Amino acid sequence: MILNNKIELVFLLLFGTVLYGQRAVIKNDTVRTQNLDEVIVSATRTLRQLSSLPLPVQLISNTEIRQINSLRLHNVLNEQTGLITVPDFGGGEGIQLQGLDSQYTLLLIDGVPLIGRSAGTLDLSRITVGNIKQIEIVKGASSSLYGSEAMGGVINIITEKATDGFQGSLRNRYGSFNGNDLGVNLSYKKDKVSFSTYLNSYNSDGYDLDRSTKLNTVEPFRNYTISTKVLYDFSEMANVFVSGRYYTQKQEYVASETLKGESEIREWNTHLKLEQQYNAKWNSYFEFYATRYKADEHLNNPDNSLFSVSNFNQLLLKPEIRGSYAPSKKSTFVGGIGLSHETLERTDFSTNPIFNSPYIYVQYDTNPTEKINVLVGTRFDAHNNYASQFSPKGALRYQINSTLAVKGSIGYGFKAPDFRQLYFDFSNATVGYTVLGYNAVPARIPELENEGQIANIVVLISAFNAELSPENSIGINVGADYKPLNTVSLSINLFRNNIKDLIDTRVIANKTNGQNIFSYYNVNEVYTKGLEFNATWKPTTQLKIATGYQLLYAKDKKAKNAFSNGEVYARESSSSSSFQLKEAAYFGLYNRSRHMANFKVFYNIPKWSVNTNLRGVYRSKYGIYDTNGNNFLDTYDDFISGYSIWNWAINKTFYKNYQLGFGVDNFMGFTDTQNISNIAGRIVYGKLNIQF
Amino acid sequence: MKTIKFFTLLTLFITFISCDKEDDTPSLVAVESKAITNLKAEQTSDYTTNPPTISGDYIKFSFETGAATTTDNWDIAFRGSTILVNGGEATAEDQPERTGNAAVYITSGTLASVEEVTTALLKTDSSVDGLAITTGSGNGWYNYDQSTHIITPIAGKVLVVKTNNGKYAKLEILSYYKDADTSSDSQYYTFNYIYQPNEGVTTF
Repeated sequence: MILNNKIELVFLLLFGTVLYGQRAVIKNDTVRTQNLDEVIVSATRTLRQLSSLPLPVQLISNTEIRQINSLRLHNVLNEQTGLITVPDFGGGEGIQLQGLDSQYTLLLIDGVPLIGRSAGTLDLSRITVGNIKQIEIVKGASSSLYGSEAMGGVINIITEKATDGFQGSLRNRYGSFNGNDLGVNLSYKKDKVSFSTYLNSYNSDGYDLDRSTKLNTVEPFRNYTISTKVLYDFSEMANVFVSGRYYTQKQEYVASETLKGESEIREWNTHLKLEQQYNAKWNSYFEFYATRYKADEHLNNPDNSLFSVSNFNQLLLKPEIRGSYAPSKKSTFVGGIGLSHETLERTDFSTNPIFNSPYIYVQYDTNPTEKINVLVGTRFDAHNNYASQFSPKGALRYQINSTLAVKGSIGYGFKAPDFRQLYFDFSNATVGYTVLGYNAVPARIPELENEGQIANIVVLISAFNAELSPENSIGINVGADYKPLNTVSLSINLFRNNIKDLIDTRVIANKTNGQNIFSYYNVNEVYTKGLEFNATWKPTTQLKIATGYQLLYAKDKKAKNAFSNGEVYARESSSSSSFQLKEAAYFGLYNRSRHMANFKVFYNIPKWSVNTNLRGVYRSKYGIYDTNGNNFLDTYDDFISGYSIWNWAINKTFYKNYQLGFGVDNFMGFTDTQNISNIAGRIVYGKLNIQF
Repeated sequence: MKTIKFFTLLTLFITFISCDKEDDTPSLVAVESKAITNLKAEQTSDYTTNPPTISGDYIKFSFETGAATTTDNWDIAFRGSTILVNGGEATAEDQPERTGNAAVYITSGTLASVEEVTTALLKTDSSVDGLAITTGSGNGWYNYDQSTHIITPIAGKVLVVKTNNGKYAKLEILSYYKDADTSSDSQYYTFNYIYQPNEGVTTF
């Protein structure tokens, strides 16, 4: 850590932006302290000043999270440029980043991954933001450091560290839908020991957007999070860090008027890290991480007899040894070796699979001149179930002058096929279709054939002899940071992700009941490209105005070809004659908006101890399914209209340690009852914080 | 003077050519283009049995007469979303007997853009391989929406038919609902077709 601080110091002096001071405990939110704190770890696995990185990164500070009175991770991320959370059919809310789905963004807490993607999506509403120091977002393929899943980017949630003495705080927010969030933070630090713990309870009555049905859009739920961290310094050169987190949620589960039950999630994470500094050049880390995610749900008949049960139980063990070597103040090597061991027990699975994936990575970060920063790295992931992956990455930043810097990066990213894509064996009880994982096909199809369930084989079983390939992508980002004035900063980033071997489902056989059997296969080539623009203006120390915009084109190459070959047709109305569509009529992938924008104003009135903010987000129209039946999203489909959501909050501090807050999220009360299940409508809340 | 001469020559020339054509080839009858609305193809389904029992008479259609028929001189027949062709063998006992040599295939295109019959693609119904026009959502001429239960003809699908009398027709189904209104009763076909009444002509 000490070493890293020195590197930071060098950077800070080099780029001459701000003066550095050891992490000062200054609670008020002046511009200067914010700049000092803007240090990020996720991009390089070393502490680096945000503004000096050659990669597109975003940092959300604790100050912003507090001022907007956010509760869960998805609330915060939704307000950031180019990010949007999208509900999936399983009820989870996953992040879309540079137009890539949730399954291609790796989510970390203090540098270690979260699991529990039952349908590919990692539900961000699981994560409370009450104990977060900052959220770091690295865009672009980052598999060179993090391996699978980091295909589109990485989001790392850094939890708060204990500061000197005993600190405590209590936060309570109560609002619409009987939503009650209570959090208690306790921390202690003296000499060599620091300890912090956080307890959170969150419950809500849920909400119902469509009152004509008996089902609620979101059923009532209650969840608890407990997380504890201990850091002990053996000496100035060595320390040990232990953390544990437990999360549990119970939610009513209603499938129909007669079928009711409960769903329960239990998740724990433990993280042990030993850090040893040998001299000014060498550092080593030993890390052991274990996490389990369990989701159980059941449905009962009206007479309370059991109708169905479904279980999901995933375990990840991840030991890693990492070292850093700084031959000079200008450069650092980081390298690591580790193993990822994963198991899953799940209903509707053909087997209880085990994944073992040893990996090794190395990264070199250097400043050959004061103006140039070069980052090169690569990682090798072996795997017991699919082909090994080699993920290189390179990045360059050039500081043209004191106001302008350009940067670019190119990297390889991949996502291993998940358990579901390999081992699923699911037949829908009411409709009758079947979904088989790729590896389950060769054994299961003959069985179904013997049972007389198969009418016709569409894809021969021999097509499943080879391995399913990992989805992979090459991500390119080119951008510039421009600071024409002390009060203005602008940044632009152009991105392109070329994704290959995208895994999709297809019909592999027809069943005698008229339904189909689906399985997974590598087929699609998809690209997302666009630009991101961010601007911040701080005319005074009290006022900050920020705006962001993302332009996005996300398209499937095969679909594009089908349009250009004239194979796609549509009708003006449902019963008029069909006509051929041109390529321009191809809109792109589902659930992608061409334009997304945000606008935020933060205003501080120190003499009244008041801060207030207004934030708006906009997304342009998008399609969620092919409404005209030609299998493509084209301009003749029905779209969900563009919309904007506006949030407002005000907080006042009394007697230094008490803070009252009030706010309205989505004060225009926007909802789309038919299409957007994760926007509840207007939420009015009050908040009380007590520091002690 | 010169101009008049020229026109006279031209007129003579055209007349000559025209006469020539009529003399050499038999006259072709123009193709027939017609719209059929609300052709009722009722079926009843009994969901108390598993699998459900589907019953009802097939409505037989003849392109030659441009109307439904009860005779054996039919080309295609409708019941619910199922379409039969009068060629090959029945695939179920309640189907009308195949008495002719009709055949069919589905191709991509608009009704206007399908200009020629690819005879190699023509299929008859088969007790082994199933119906020439496969049933099921996305397999043949329609998509079925599981949530709205609406059957929509797939855009850009044209049925090319070799009729019972050895001639050709092409049709585009436009709607499966009465008055082409999806909120109204289903099992009512609306389609446009073009019938080539000339023997052996495979273009439209």
